[in-house]
Amino acid sequence: MKNKLVITALMTSFLLAAFFVNAQEVVELKQPQSNKVVIKLMFRNGSISDPAGKDGLTSATASTVIAGGTKDKTAKQIQELIYPMAVNFDASVDKEVVVFTFQVYKDFAEKFYPLLRDLILSPAFADDDFKNVRSNQQNYVEEVIRSSSDEEYSKMALEDLLFRGTNYQHMVDGTTAGVSAIMLDDVKAHYKKYFTRNNLRIGIAGNYSAAFLDQLKKDMKTLPDTKPDIPMPGKANSPDGINVEIVSKEKALGSAIFTGFPLAITRTDDDFAALMVANSYLGEHRKSYGKLYDKIRTTRSMNYGDYSYIEWYENGGGNMLPVPGVPRSSNYFSIWIRPVQVAEGLKKQYKELDGIETGHAQFALRLAVREMDELIANGMSKEDFELTRQFLRSYNKLYIQTPERQLGFLMDSRYYGRKDYISEMDALLAKLTVEDVNRAIKKYWQTKNMFVTIVTDDSEAGPLKTALEQNKPSPMSYSNLVKVGLPADVVKEDEKIATYPLNVKSVKIVDSKNTFKPAVKGF
Amino acid sequence: MKYRLFSLLLLLALNSGSVAGQTSAKNKILPFGIFQKKLANGLNVVTVPFSSPGLASLYIVVRAGSREEVEEGKTGFAHFFEHMMFRGTEKYSKEAYDQVLKSIGASANANTSFDRTVYHMTGNAGMIEKMFEVEGDRFQHLKYSEHDFKTEAGAVKGEYTKNSASPYQQLYEKLLNTAFEKHTYKHTTMGFFKDVVDMPNQYDYSLVFFDRFYRPEYTTIIVTGDVTKEEVNKYAEKYFGGWKHGSYSPVIEKEPAQVGTRYVHIQQAGFPPYIGLNFKGPAFSDHNIDLPALNILATLLLDQSGDLYQQLVIKEQKARFINGGPGLNRDPLLVSFGISAVKAEDLQYLKDELMKALEKAKSVPIDPKKLADTKSNIKYSFAMRLDSPDQIANSMALYTWLTGNPESLNNYYALYDKVTAADIMNAAKKYFMANSLTIATISPADAGNVK
Repeated sequence: MKNKLVITALMTSFLLAAFFVNAQEVVELKQPQSNKVVIKLMFRNGSISDPAGKDGLTSATASTVIAGGTKDKTAKQIQELIYPMAVNFDASVDKEVVVFTFQVYKDFAEKFYPLLRDLILSPAFADDDFKNVRSNQQNYVEEVIRSSSDEEYSKMALEDLLFRGTNYQHMVDGTTAGVSAIMLDDVKAHYKKYFTRNNLRIGIAGNYSAAFLDQLKKDMKTLPDTKPDIPMPGKANSPDGINVEIVSKEKALGSAIFTGFPLAITRTDDDFAALMVANSYLGEHRKSYGKLYDKIRTTRSMNYGDYSYIEWYENGGGNMLPVPGVPRSSNYFSIWIRPVQVAEGLKKQYKELDGIETGHAQFALRLAVREMDELIANGMSKEDFELTRQFLRSYNKLYIQTPERQLGFLMDSRYYGRKDYISEMDALLAKLTVEDVNRAIKKYWQTKNMFVTIVTDDSEAGPLKTALEQNKPSPMSYSNLVKVGLPADVVKEDEKIATYPLNVKSVKIVDSKNTFKPAVKGF
Repeated sequence: MKYRLFSLLLLLALNSGSVAGQTSAKNKILPFGIFQKKLANGLNVVTVPFSSPGLASLYIVVRAGSREEVEEGKTGFAHFFEHMMFRGTEKYSKEAYDQVLKSIGASANANTSFDRTVYHMTGNAGMIEKMFEVEGDRFQHLKYSEHDFKTEAGAVKGEYTKNSASPYQQLYEKLLNTAFEKHTYKHTTMGFFKDVVDMPNQYDYSLVFFDRFYRPEYTTIIVTGDVTKEEVNKYAEKYFGGWKHGSYSPVIEKEPAQVGTRYVHIQQAGFPPYIGLNFKGPAFSDHNIDLPALNILATLLLDQSGDLYQQLVIKEQKARFINGGPGLNRDPLLVSFGISAVKAEDLQYLKDELMKALEKAKSVPIDPKKLADTKSNIKYSFAMRLDSPDQIANSMALYTWLTGNPESLNNYYALYDKVTAADIMNAAKKYFMANSLTIATISPADAGNVK
């Protein structure tokens, strides 16, 4: 696996080099029937470029640009101008890229264009706009992430573990210490240094004229002609055994779980198609077809859903389909187990569960790991393979239902060294065999070494830690109502799951107040 | 400027001109023809063809949501029932249904709200007959075991559990419970937690629920995209034609007029303080001017170029964001405005400033250019969303559940043309009253401390 990582790193650096050679790259998607024009400016510069001590600077920079004014117009004046046109624009920042997206009704494209141009070429960086951005960013990394969605929180905590000590560790919006250290001058300098004509990819879709595009290309050539020093993306750490971090907080109704380990391949690799089939079978996002969903939710109703991932999935709680604009060259596999019940709640709800010490987290984790182990050992059947492939060949096309999505996926394709990811994956899926998939599963998946994060109630954290450390049996605690009707095969499987061995090597409780501290290498 | 802008809307591309049919798209916000056919059993079938090669969306709108949960102890049931609809039939077990969806390669799901439950799938237009077949089967022949019913209740509790992590969600539950006394809008669509915990005991009631609401007269089928009305109507007749009309009609208690401001509060440290002002609002109507008037006012008031945003968010930096507006619902719900505060000590100030702006709206007419610009903003925002079969079907579904007639979409947007500055002042006077207000707060303190 280590060699594979090195090879991927080398490939990434070649891609970077190739990107810089083809200075102005434009992805075009002309759609004369569309009623809008979509423009995307993708800068190859994400939160991995945040300087030490200023985690969150790239995000603050992009947000200040998009929220602010230009050399001759205040943010307010811009808002007034675009108001009747209902223009949409935003900046999305991820680990490796920043994407500015503008969507304008076709008849207003010409009128709006000078504002787009000036926002990018001569942003005002007004002090008020910046302070506002920083305050909100600070609020997000300090409070909102810890107290809004325990699922998103456990996902961020997993990344914090996986990438500890690397430039991938901190959240895109930064850390408390990092954001407080950001000053307006940092933002200005960062923009100049990292948003250049040489790390920009232009994308345009919809109903635009050749002259419009020419002007855009010409203007974007006036961005600085320097070559930004983009650091190599940090790689995910390989844990020794299963390492669990329990985030303990007050008043949590459930245990929100994420687990993952490094994955050597990305959309760049042809093997990705094989893993896509395996992953869809195990845990397609927000679908009831996956094995994890079937066993954890449908059969046992332990939570709202359970899914697996072979790449970063932006805002899984909100998005039913993957969004473009978040390409990453450092990859990992993950499983998302939505909040399961804690002992305190179960005891209150059902008298018969009065004696339990922990809720359902350990059982759910065991079930997921066992399911994956079985898939690794036995592979997919030919029948399951055929159906899953058929599904994906149609489903992947739903990723690109709008001009904005089509353009975004095309631009991401280039990031991965592909021309058109959706159609190329379709071609790869077409020639795939069940043997290819089962080989890929064995090659890339394992369950002995994983990171696990569990955001849970403070009453659950201690007992759960002990149970995991000691690999205690975790019989599923059903209410009597459900227990009486359980089919015999479920009861039998439950017994196996309850004592299924997990290679747990370390369990640590972190108080919610102390998560996301600055990078320290090691676990 | 206004009229020029609006006429441009008619040029919304996607070959709209070629599909004029029973209802012409002329002078309507939706640049596509809406073809409706009512089957003999009362089921309304709506087709909106447009260019989306190989792709179609099928939406099934059932006009039953948490609004219809009139019985004590049954809150959250419409949503729970939505879950049960995925538990299979004799012909297609849950597994078989999943296999069909997988083979279609569809993105399919469902969701429930106050006034409706919507089932939707988007996928290969060439498989439209199969979509009709499996949906027709489960809407008429749903069959699940008592054990499956009890088990599924756990998933609903799981959904409640994941939602409850958000203080906004907690506040919303309290807000409805306080702002409403009699009407079923008193509870959220998720239901009260005690009712959610009790759901496994309600198997018999679930059969009653299916019998009452999963009937053609409650339902509309909407198909958009690469389809013809002929094939849609043919499959609707084939797979839903035998569905029997029902006889149930719920009695939903009217909410008595509110007397005096009410208060709800969530104590939460480590979370941005928040204040929400929630007034009783109008019910949806596609011929009454109040709702578009309120929407214009809210859009203008909350826009980032507006005075309020500039003052509170940009200059004073006491607020992080301001949002709100009137809800679109069958019965009167709320017109809400919310402010995320930087400091809890500013909550009173923020409330006062927001109230000042609302008071001003009662007596100071909106500048004509601002009014025209806002109308333009609202209409172009809508037009920009008409990109895919799914988005279009989703928009149609909204107006279908509100009135039962998808043409309400066109009628409602046409109302915007008529709104005057006086209408807006009248609406402000009518709805922004202390008597009908519920103030909702989140802060580290044990009370909102806002008057």
